Amino acid sequence: MNMPTEKVDEYLETIFKLGCANQEVNITQIAEYLGVSPASVSEMVKRMEAQGLVQCRRRGKGVMAGPRAKDKEEGRGSVRGRSKDVSLTPRGEKMARTLIRRHRLSERFLTDMLGIDWESAHQEACKLEHVISPEVEERLAEVLGNPATCPHGHPIPDGKGKMPAMDILPLTHLKVGEKGRIDRVEEEQPQMLQYLATLGLLPNVEVEVREIAPFNGPFLVRVGKSQYALGREVASKIWMKKRVGTVRK
Amino acid sequence: MRELPEIAKLREKTEFVIALVGNPNVGKSTLFNRLTGMGVLTANYPGMTVNFNVGETSLGDHRIGIIDLPGTYALGAVSQDQQVARKGILEVSPDMVVVILDATNLSRNLYLLLQILDLEAPVMAALNLVDEAERNGLFTDVEQLSEILGIPVVPTVATRGDGIDELINTALEEVKGERSHVTLPFYYATDIEEQVRRISRKISRVHLELPIHITPRALALLLLEQDREFLELLESQEEARALLKLVDDAREKILETHGNDAAVIIARERYGIAGSIVAAVQQVRERVKPSWGERLWEYTTSTRTGIPLLLGILALLLFILFFAGNNLSNLLTDLWNSLAAGHLERAITYAFGDNFFSTGLIWGVVYGIEAILSVAIPYVLIFYVILALLEDSGYLNSVAFLTDRTMHRLGLHGRAIIPLISAAGCNVPAIMGTRVLSTRRERIISGVLIVLVPCSARTAVIIGGVARFSGWGWALLLYLIIFILIAVVGLIMNKVMPGDSPGLVMEVFPFRRPSWLTMLKKTWVRLRDFVFVATPIMLVGSFLLGMLYASGWLQYLEKPLRPVTEFWLGLPAVAGLALIFAFLRKELALQLLLVFAAASLAHGATVEGINQLLTSQQIFVFALVNAIYIPCASTFAVLVMELGWKKSLQISLFTVLLALLVGGLVHLILVIF
Repeated sequence: MNMPTEKVDEYLETIFKLGCANQEVNITQIAEYLGVSPASVSEMVKRMEAQGLVQCRRRGKGVMAGPRAKDKEEGRGSVRGRSKDVSLTPRGEKMARTLIRRHRLSERFLTDMLGIDWESAHQEACKLEHVISPEVEERLAEVLGNPATCPHGHPIPDGKGKMPAMDILPLTHLKVGEKGRIDRVEEEQPQMLQYLATLGLLPNVEVEVREIAPFNGPFLVRVGKSQYALGREVASKIWMKKRVGTVRK
Repeated sequence: MRELPEIAKLREKTEFVIALVGNPNVGKSTLFNRLTGMGVLTANYPGMTVNFNVGETSLGDHRIGIIDLPGTYALGAVSQDQQVARKGILEVSPDMVVVILDATNLSRNLYLLLQILDLEAPVMAALNLVDEAERNGLFTDVEQLSEILGIPVVPTVATRGDGIDELINTALEEVKGERSHVTLPFYYATDIEEQVRRISRKISRVHLELPIHITPRALALLLLEQDREFLELLESQEEARALLKLVDDAREKILETHGNDAAVIIARERYGIAGSIVAAVQQVRERVKPSWGERLWEYTTSTRTGIPLLLGILALLLFILFFAGNNLSNLLTDLWNSLAAGHLERAITYAFGDNFFSTGLIWGVVYGIEAILSVAIPYVLIFYVILALLEDSGYLNSVAFLTDRTMHRLGLHGRAIIPLISAAGCNVPAIMGTRVLSTRRERIISGVLIVLVPCSARTAVIIGGVARFSGWGWALLLYLIIFILIAVVGLIMNKVMPGDSPGLVMEVFPFRRPSWLTMLKKTWVRLRDFVFVATPIMLVGSFLLGMLYASGWLQYLEKPLRPVTEFWLGLPAVAGLALIFAFLRKELALQLLLVFAAASLAHGATVEGINQLLTSQQIFVFALVNAIYIPCASTFAVLVMELGWKKSLQISLFTVLLALLVGGLVHLILVIF
């Protein structure tokens, strides 16, 4: 089978990030995150399933309507007849962790050693992560002094692919009425980050989901005394520490 | 640097200039409208779609200029409203900046105030909505707030006019008092202040080319926050290289210490300071029960109730536009015809004789004004009162939240739904309503889509012609075709047009009781702008059409149109002329067709006689083309006003081609089957 590896890598990382390693994500979420059509995600996921990188669980309408419907899904309004849950297989997960490790190590290298700014470092690391060999990866980590986080503050998995413990999930995983504290906002767009910060959407600030608009619409959240509507593409970049317990299964 | 003409004029006429800034929906415009008279001007920085108002007021013998800057949460370079508000402070450098604070949401409002203090501009505050805050159980110690901030703070209730005189009085005293310098009432974390000091020392040592005056500390903070505008200004300057290096080092250090980008850390510091100020000055007592209005408001964003509510409101909006609009339109036309039109017509004929020039003039002046009175003004007036009501109550944002996803597919935001639906009443106010959209891309897309929505005039032709003579099925089919066209054009434009709408981040406001005064004044300013732009276009357009009609050159036009009308659309040749002349007023298309037919075929013409002239299929094609091609003259005028000549001509040409394409295809299908 002939698949561009970079594209596969990109999908692995996305599914990993969205699902926090062991949670299922659906096609729509992946499509939103990558900014592509759900149809092409479906196509790609099918191929990755064939390669044993992901596993899918189809959810028919009947299943969802039944008593065994997973309540975690209901709040998201993304329940559709043809919707699919995707999760990484152990092999896919290991690949994803390695990629993320290489990406974040490259970022560290680019910013710390080469003095390149964060924004460009992220772009460059996106390219580098696909071509770094295990030897280079190891040497990089050594030279950099085994850093725990990337320049943006995200944790770097260790050599065995283990991630430092974290119980954080994107805002889009929260249900109506749930509260959480912001852990961090992904900073791919500095302008957006800055705008959110001026609105008070800052690390450690408590956020409550008040409403989710129909048809996969935006989230209405309460922050302090203000209410904001956040589009899904924005909300999926806000990582939350959930208030009570964790959502791990 | 050249000053905006409106600002220069204001300076000339007045002694002091006061700028009002504040978060959106905190009563800033209400305050502005309370202060200023009817002579409000709209000013616009080149390249910016966000504009602002300037006006004047007097207190005793003093003439005071007031600038109403766009509502904004912060003064960065992240969005246009922020940039315009910042320009209004840094470039205009008013004698006093008055920050309007929302007492019900003090800490976020203080953020903006702290940012202005960081810019070291002369500043004071109005604590607005104190009545609502107290109803919510929030009591603010205004004196203490003033003491902590080191600036005067005046409590106000803008909707009632409370505290406004005192506000202006205090501002005047402050301006005249010549306070030497603003002393900052707060500091950020020590290491951040340390970095700020290092950078500002560097700034005062190097020579920088900046178009505006800004203090070293303010610039240092902006650079740490990675402010796009100032970074771009400095990046090209040789002298600034070392400075920018220093800034990068400082950001690196802040990241190491605090684990986050400097911009985020500074924002967090500001929120921290704001929070501690609020804790010191605001007391939370028992919350009075929420009023029915506030409880009702919850329903506007709830999925289950919000959508039915929206549909109801849209239906009501259309109903009002159709019925109240029609009545007002008839009233104005009757008044015009009975009081002025006849006299004017006689006067023109008396002065110029009975020739084609005077007929052109009669068309231009008499019918042109009639068209403005009957089409534009009644619908614009009514729509604008309603739009202002939806905007000022905060409902527009609730709607945007609910419909954002659907509108996104058409390349628009949720806010675009109100103009789009109201276009079914009249295109003219709908296009003016696209001002609520923030990007030019959205305005162009919605402009095209609005023009395709059949307005009440086109509906009159569809109902009066197609439904009556060809049957309701045909009329419904026609609407279906247009609906599909709108969806397809929207989807295609969204794909084809460069740029995309950025992710949605929008405040959903609590319910605010709109102030009638603000609404009416807003409507007045908008209506005045419209009449000013649209009238000349209407008059010249009608004049040219009148000349064409009276000079008898009409039949020369008929012939070249023949291949299009007769062959391609399968309509009688005069139909082409009727369609051209319906540019003036779309609902006249049918009558005009009969008038022209009567002139060329010389048999009696009544609307009832239309089915002698056209088959029911021809009426269908005629009404379809009439519904799609160029908007009427008033719509064109308002398009020019909102999007400029080039875009308006492009959009008009596009609709003509689309109308011909669809009309021809429908004709072809009808012929085949």
